[in-house]
Amino acid sequence: MKAIVERACELMRQAGASYGDVRVREDWHESVVVKNGRPEHILGDFSAGFGVRVLVDGAWGFFGTHRLEESAVEPAVRQAVAIARASARLREEPIVLAPLAPATARYETPHAKSPREVPLETKLALLAAASNAMKGPNVKLAQAFFAAFDTRQFFGSTEGSRIEQRIVQTGGGIAATAIAGGDLQVRSYPNSFRGNFATAGYEYVEAMNLVGEAPRVADEAEALLAAPPCPEGRRTLVLDGGQLALQVHESCGHPIELDRVLGMELSYAGDSFLTIDKLGAFQYGSGEVNIVADATAPGGLGTFGYDDEGVAAQRTPIVEAGRFVGYLSSRETAPAIGRTSSGAMRASGWNRLPLIRMTNVNLLPGRAGTLDDLLADTGEGLFLATNKSWSIDNKRLNFQFGTEMCREIRAGKVGQIYKNATYTGITPEFWGSCDAVCSAGAWRLWGTPNCGKGEPGQTARVGHGVAPARFRNVQVGVKA
Amino acid sequence: MNPAEREANLLDVGRRLVAASPADETEALLVEGRSLLTRFSRNQVHQNVGTEDVWVVLRLVVGGRLGIATTSSLRPEALDQAVACAMTIARASQPEEGWPGLPRPEPVKPASSYDAATAEAPADARADVAAEIIEAARRQRGEAAGAVEIEESSAAVANSRGVAAASSHTRTQAHTVVTCGDGSGFAEGVSSRLADLKPRALGRRAAAKAAASRNPQPLPAGRYDVILEPPAVAEWLEFLSYMAFGGKAFQEGRSPFSGKLGQRITGRQVTIWDNALDRRTLPQEFDYEGMPKRRLALIDRGVAKAVATNYYRARRLGKRRSTGSALPASTGYECLPLHLFMKGGTSSAAALVKETNRGLLITRFHYTNILDPMKTVLTGMTRDGTFLVEGGRIVRPVRNLRYTENILEAFSRIDGMSRRLTLARGPAVVPTVRVREVNFTGTTEF
Repeated sequence: MKAIVERACELMRQAGASYGDVRVREDWHESVVVKNGRPEHILGDFSAGFGVRVLVDGAWGFFGTHRLEESAVEPAVRQAVAIARASARLREEPIVLAPLAPATARYETPHAKSPREVPLETKLALLAAASNAMKGPNVKLAQAFFAAFDTRQFFGSTEGSRIEQRIVQTGGGIAATAIAGGDLQVRSYPNSFRGNFATAGYEYVEAMNLVGEAPRVADEAEALLAAPPCPEGRRTLVLDGGQLALQVHESCGHPIELDRVLGMELSYAGDSFLTIDKLGAFQYGSGEVNIVADATAPGGLGTFGYDDEGVAAQRTPIVEAGRFVGYLSSRETAPAIGRTSSGAMRASGWNRLPLIRMTNVNLLPGRAGTLDDLLADTGEGLFLATNKSWSIDNKRLNFQFGTEMCREIRAGKVGQIYKNATYTGITPEFWGSCDAVCSAGAWRLWGTPNCGKGEPGQTARVGHGVAPARFRNVQVGVKA
Repeated sequence: MNPAEREANLLDVGRRLVAASPADETEALLVEGRSLLTRFSRNQVHQNVGTEDVWVVLRLVVGGRLGIATTSSLRPEALDQAVACAMTIARASQPEEGWPGLPRPEPVKPASSYDAATAEAPADARADVAAEIIEAARRQRGEAAGAVEIEESSAAVANSRGVAAASSHTRTQAHTVVTCGDGSGFAEGVSSRLADLKPRALGRRAAAKAAASRNPQPLPAGRYDVILEPPAVAEWLEFLSYMAFGGKAFQEGRSPFSGKLGQRITGRQVTIWDNALDRRTLPQEFDYEGMPKRRLALIDRGVAKAVATNYYRARRLGKRRSTGSALPASTGYECLPLHLFMKGGTSSAAALVKETNRGLLITRFHYTNILDPMKTVLTGMTRDGTFLVEGGRIVRPVRNLRYTENILEAFSRIDGMSRRLTLARGPAVVPTVRVREVNFTGTTEF
């Protein structure tokens, strides 16, 4: 790895690059799915290569190759430089990077049990037991999931940074799918879409108590089949952590990406309502809403030591007492707001360009106590749990979410189950209606392992720390 | 390396992997190629990337137990490591229920879509395409964002039952969103050949739409007749495919087609099929387990006809042959149709507008997602050019709206389709359609 990095930096300087960096990277990934007690799909993935990024004539060029050998460095640099020169033809303003002191560092996410070292038989036994424990007359699919990622990277830049990193991410979960009478209902634990994830080892999945939770999950899937649909109307909502994490992701995490704000994603995923003129002056939410982007949060799925430009992980204020105060940024974009990079540039692999990605975008704990305290204080409303569907417009204003579970709150307690619950709103109005966030004891980190962005497409693993929260006068029960 | 040599090399590596494998059965899928993409925004190139990639997917079978592993290299040590990984998985697994063995070879019809000029186009050629789009936007005092992409690759499949297939492809696409103040417009082009993209026309179309969609006015949620342009139709069709057309979901009872083959599930005017051999799409000769592509009727005049399968799923469903719809073994989804077509009508896009008393002209959708897969309920937003039509004329741009709609029911309310079919990204080859009374459930601020 080191030899490729040194050779690439030397060649990029010789080629006249005003800046260049190289990432040599290996990605190991394992995915295990058990269905109805039997292995359904088991995959071992391995990918290795390197990518060089050069700034020539004020424009970017990037080239990645799977040829992990020193002889591949010169052609890769040559390709990247040719691409940069073609970019420069259609570049009016040269790209200027925010300053950065070079770093030499080594970083590794903590983990007790490397997921690579745990035998597959051990993982299968756990998942089979959890799958077998999800029983019900209409539970047709009882699935249990495990996945892990082990990424090793050596980063070098022409400015002198040399950074080695190893990021280990592990997760899993269970899902019961009940099907009858033309209806299908899914109930998941601890989160939908294959579970929850963290920068951690296999111990994270062992601590989930998948087998113990399985009977409840199956029972709730059955109950949802029999439940009436969520009635339409304007209601007080209490959102559980899993759903609230995705709400933060879609309605805060994406619109604070400064590349989106500057139009760099306009033709694909869109731009953002949080334009630069709003920085420091816009009321994003109520006074209960405090949000940070924290790449240093222990265990967060978006936790790392340095981003893919060599910028150290940071904790950046985003919303303070409802006021919008910060963006996720890069060395290229940060000067547009007169700041230095917030350290959010990450690539999904050796063959992808780093983009501004969420780190751990966290809603900070409030003062509302436990979830039970919040429900008791709420009196009447709906408790929505576990995401099922999401959609948001291309400026991140109008959103609509569906959840797996919805329960009526009556006299401060959850009761009647409803199925197919949806809620919709406009981002600042919705966050402006937040009047309570549970306290630190109810706060936990959620991992979103499937955040898509960019062309060519990239999938990032990001985190969101939240505690359950309450929102007033929200439209629920949107129907086809 | 020219594509023929690359195909031969991939096949050779695949055959050697199969011959040396310690498993009872072995399949190797090998893909090698380059992907090049130029992105622009605010009339400037801001990202410009190229990669050369190898992707090998091994499916090994030991006593009916499957092990699947991938690697990104053709180096012997990397391939050995992948074989060892797949063997470890297979040994830890359990015998696959009803495992029929890997497929046997079947004749593959040629459907080449490799264009050497596209494959060899330098970075400047992509910049030329971007420059033409940007110039068209500037003429309307607009700003263009978008991407120009070229992919060129060879793929080979070899297995221990004698499958040995290889082919090469080029793919290119350009799309743009042009903004004029608060107006935006979209256009896209897709082809196997860079020379077919017509970037100036794309830029003009998007710029004209952007100029026409300035100062959009709010419109209340409610039911509106809509004229859907091809990118919007393609998006609905692709989501319908994901929910309904996969053989695995069908057999598990998760598909709206489950138990309904042979029954009417939407309007008679709706005919949908898959055909990777048709030159109007991005042709592909064989699927990811080397089975030949063939035409597959999915919905015929409103009746559910078939679902897509790989060989395993075909045999589980009591069929002798795969429909040629295998996905790479690395995905658990198994099989999907990837070259969709929707039959058109007798009208034209312009006539559909002219014949509409009151409705919306919709350029495309944004962030569509599934609310209820069994009932094919989707939600999503309109984007980049939404217009109110009254008395057969486009009268003004409107702010974007959210729809929440049952797609099979909506398709049953199609009352007009263009004769002309357009290749949209996906790929999907679709007409412009008019749908009565689509359910819009929300509004936004732009």
